[in-house]
Amino acid sequence: MKDIKTYSEAIARLESIMSQINGGNVDIDTLSDCLREAQELINFCRDKLFKVDEYVKKILESIEAIDNE
Amino acid sequence: MISGNEPLTLYELNALVRGAINERLSSCYWVVGELSEVRETAAGHCYIELVQRDEATREMTAKARGTIWSRIYSLLRPYFLEQTGQPFGVGLKVLLQVTVDFHELYGYALDVRDIEPAYTIGDIARQRQLIINRLQQEGVINLNKELEFPALPQRVAVISSATAAGYDDFCHQLQNNPYGFHFYTRLFSSPMQGARTEQGIIEALNRIAENMDFWDIVVIIRGGGATSDLSCFDTYDLANNCAQFPLPIITGIGHHRDDTLLDIVAHTRAKTPTAAAELLIHSMAAQAARLDNMANGLVALSRELLSDSHRRLQAMVQRLPVATALLLQQHKHRLDILQQQAAAASPQRILALGYTLTTCNGRIVRSASDVEPGCVLTTRTIDGEITSVINEIKR
Repeated sequence: MKDIKTYSEAIARLESIMSQINGGNVDIDTLSDCLREAQELINFCRDKLFKVDEYVKKILESIEAIDNE
Repeated sequence: MISGNEPLTLYELNALVRGAINERLSSCYWVVGELSEVRETAAGHCYIELVQRDEATREMTAKARGTIWSRIYSLLRPYFLEQTGQPFGVGLKVLLQVTVDFHELYGYALDVRDIEPAYTIGDIARQRQLIINRLQQEGVINLNKELEFPALPQRVAVISSATAAGYDDFCHQLQNNPYGFHFYTRLFSSPMQGARTEQGIIEALNRIAENMDFWDIVVIIRGGGATSDLSCFDTYDLANNCAQFPLPIITGIGHHRDDTLLDIVAHTRAKTPTAAAELLIHSMAAQAARLDNMANGLVALSRELLSDSHRRLQAMVQRLPVATALLLQQHKHRLDILQQQAAAASPQRILALGYTLTTCNGRIVRSASDVEPGCVLTTRTIDGEITSVINEIKR
């Protein structure tokens, strides 16, 4: 989760986790780590879809401010 | 001065011209020309100027004034708009039915009786096709379509007229989406009809380009009627700018006729502003569904993995007693054998057979050279020990 900044990166990482579990490359010891990371990624993606990103809002406002000058 | 004849007044001369024209050009003619001036009067008449240009140089080679009287113009104007999708105006090539007039004061003029819109339609289509060919030759016509559609088209730069109903429809549709998705929109205002449209949209695109990284997508919209003027979306410069724009463009300029050039080069064409908003909402919904699928898939996969491990564990537990018993038996068997071997090698058994064990100073005497005369020997038998002293050694 550490280097994930964008939605596309998060989706790509999720898919790689899925295929690792699917391919039998995850044992019971690492499963919970994988699941925890996947859950974090899913939450991250859902936030992008449903939550207001204050950072994006701020940029939008600054663009408007520049344009209105 | 010509002798014998009084000079004509100008009026008289013009009257002669008029007479000659009326006599020689009395019928109706179909004439082709480009409208270089169109002026409507308060009384409902329309004054036009018709020109012919050299194909190559665009230099004017002929010109005539003309009049469309209100009685005809009131019918002709809406008919032309309905048929061609364009208002009767400057720059269009038209096929007019005229009679030729000459007036002593106003000179030569055409009296317009009828119009053939099919000619104008054909000319517009020809112009459009020329632009399409050019965009194809330049290799730009599909550039915008080839851009990847963003996974989340959330940051939306909207080009529209601030006063247009279409913009409100679009924003309303986005903001009230049933899923609760969040969108970030900003209006880049431009005229959406008339001659200033082309430049307005291009300028708006340039302003969007200043913060290119911020935006996911561009949407060009306006609310429109069926017969509104769309020629402003059919120009080369606009199509070229949109085709080469580095963000995907969605159009929703609300019309029912064939695609405009803007629609043709855009990444995706929606029919109306509302439909454009729906498109964005659907893309987001597809992502939400994908996330749900992944979440469910992960749970299922994990369950499978856990129950697999559990099954393996249980199988092991069941096998454990059998395996243990087997192992114990194996060990017991080996112990028995060892015991027999040990028993066979026991000194007691050998002593009982009548052999003895001799030691000297606690060390077993194996050889005559191990001892000297005078040494004390201890001889062990099955039932006791005998102590003796060595008298003589024969080697």
